[in-house]
Amino acid sequence: MHALQVIGAGGGDFLVKPGVGVMVWTLIAFGVTILLLRKFAFPPIQEALDKRRVTIEQSIEHAEQTRKEADALLREYRERLREAREQADDIVVRARRGAEKVHEDAIVEAKRSREEMMEQTRRDIQQETRRALDQIRSEVADLTVLATEKVTRKTLDDADHRRLIEEALEEFDFSELAGDERTGAATNGGERS
Amino acid sequence: MTWFKNLSTGKKVLLCVGLWIALVIVVYALTGSSGKNDEYQPQNEFQLDPWVSIHIGGLDLSINKAVLYLFLTAAATTATMIWIARKMRQRPNNVQTAVEAVYDLANNNITRGNMPAEYARKWFPFVGALFFFLLFANLIGYIPLPTNSHETTSIFGFEIPSFALYAATANISVPLVLTLVVWFSYHVEGVRARGVRGYLATFIPSGTPGLLKPLLFVIEVISHFVRIISLSVRIFANLLAGHLLILFMAGGMVTLLGLAALGVVTLPVAIVFFIFETVLIAGLQAFIFATLTAIYLGGAVSEAGH
Repeated sequence: MHALQVIGAGGGDFLVKPGVGVMVWTLIAFGVTILLLRKFAFPPIQEALDKRRVTIEQSIEHAEQTRKEADALLREYRERLREAREQADDIVVRARRGAEKVHEDAIVEAKRSREEMMEQTRRDIQQETRRALDQIRSEVADLTVLATEKVTRKTLDDADHRRLIEEALEEFDFSELAGDERTGAATNGGERS
Repeated sequence: MTWFKNLSTGKKVLLCVGLWIALVIVVYALTGSSGKNDEYQPQNEFQLDPWVSIHIGGLDLSINKAVLYLFLTAAATTATMIWIARKMRQRPNNVQTAVEAVYDLANNNITRGNMPAEYARKWFPFVGALFFFLLFANLIGYIPLPTNSHETTSIFGFEIPSFALYAATANISVPLVLTLVVWFSYHVEGVRARGVRGYLATFIPSGTPGLLKPLLFVIEVISHFVRIISLSVRIFANLLAGHLLILFMAGGMVTLLGLAALGVVTLPVAIVFFIFETVLIAGLQAFIFATLTAIYLGGAVSEAGH
């Protein structure tokens, strides 16, 4: 409180009394400051800040561009991969189908060829059988002629007798021999005995 | 010291305060009422003595302490800013980052935030220079400099003026003349933007009943004049009060009352005030001055009046 009294009593008026001289000096000092700052300080700082802002914007843009490109590339690769996988699947399916077809064809062919062979064999057998029957027939005729000559002690007129025997043999049914050889043979044997 | 750690926080504080008071009593017992100086006039710390007398016509342009501080402020502001501007790098270091942040505050926050873009471009050099000038003026005010021409101190045998705190902005003339510049600038800008009649018309809010118009106009005119006082006194009073507080706490009270023991109490307070003033008030007052300048300018030119 004493201190404040001292200020009041001791004349502190100058503390709040403006002085024109200091004002003029203030204007000069501030004027010089503003001129120098405006000319030499603010423009380079502003320029540097603008430049950095532009650089940052460009960097961001560039990064975004790169990201977009990367995304596009990724999408394209995914698409290609998908296509490739589809194609691969397709190829596998086709190959499997082809293989199955080949397999089936082979089976069919094998069956056909086997049947053909069997048919051929059957035909051969029939042919052989017929040939054998013809041979048997002629053998039987000869044997009969021989046996008859032995029994009758006389020579049969070849042409006449042969005709007779053959007529007699005609009555035998050899066809059974062709159908069932054993039965036929048995029948034959039975007839003969 | 384990017993101290085991105490609760409240007890620790009590103990420290008790020790402090004990220290005051001990110092008082030792020194008594020594150290009293009736010659001491605290306000003389702010006295402006003409060091170099210059008189042009009736004008007293003597170089005194305030003028020295103005020169120091102008030199420090321009030197620092130009030095930083020359060293601008694409990848900033810490100092550059700090200056850029302050520059950005002045440019975008203070100027662009308060007026249309084309006026911001035009007025930024003024508002920005004002902000940096006041910021440096305030900060330099907290550096002890050998500027006391009444007392001398001896360093290595040399008699030099005693170290003292002073600030250009703790002198009413400095903020007052800057306020006048702002005041005339914004009125001129307002008149240029919409003509004398148009500008004066903005003093009356639209939709005012006819009878109230003269009254509101007068109130508005008064409020504009009050701005001269409020803008200048705000920064001046803050700085002066801060300096006085530091002055009294750091020794002024002890000297006036002759109670050396009181210094034990007031010196820590002085340190706290010093930190508070430098960290907060110096920047804050410069910011407020510049922001209000921008608001006044913006208000004078913007469509909505103010």
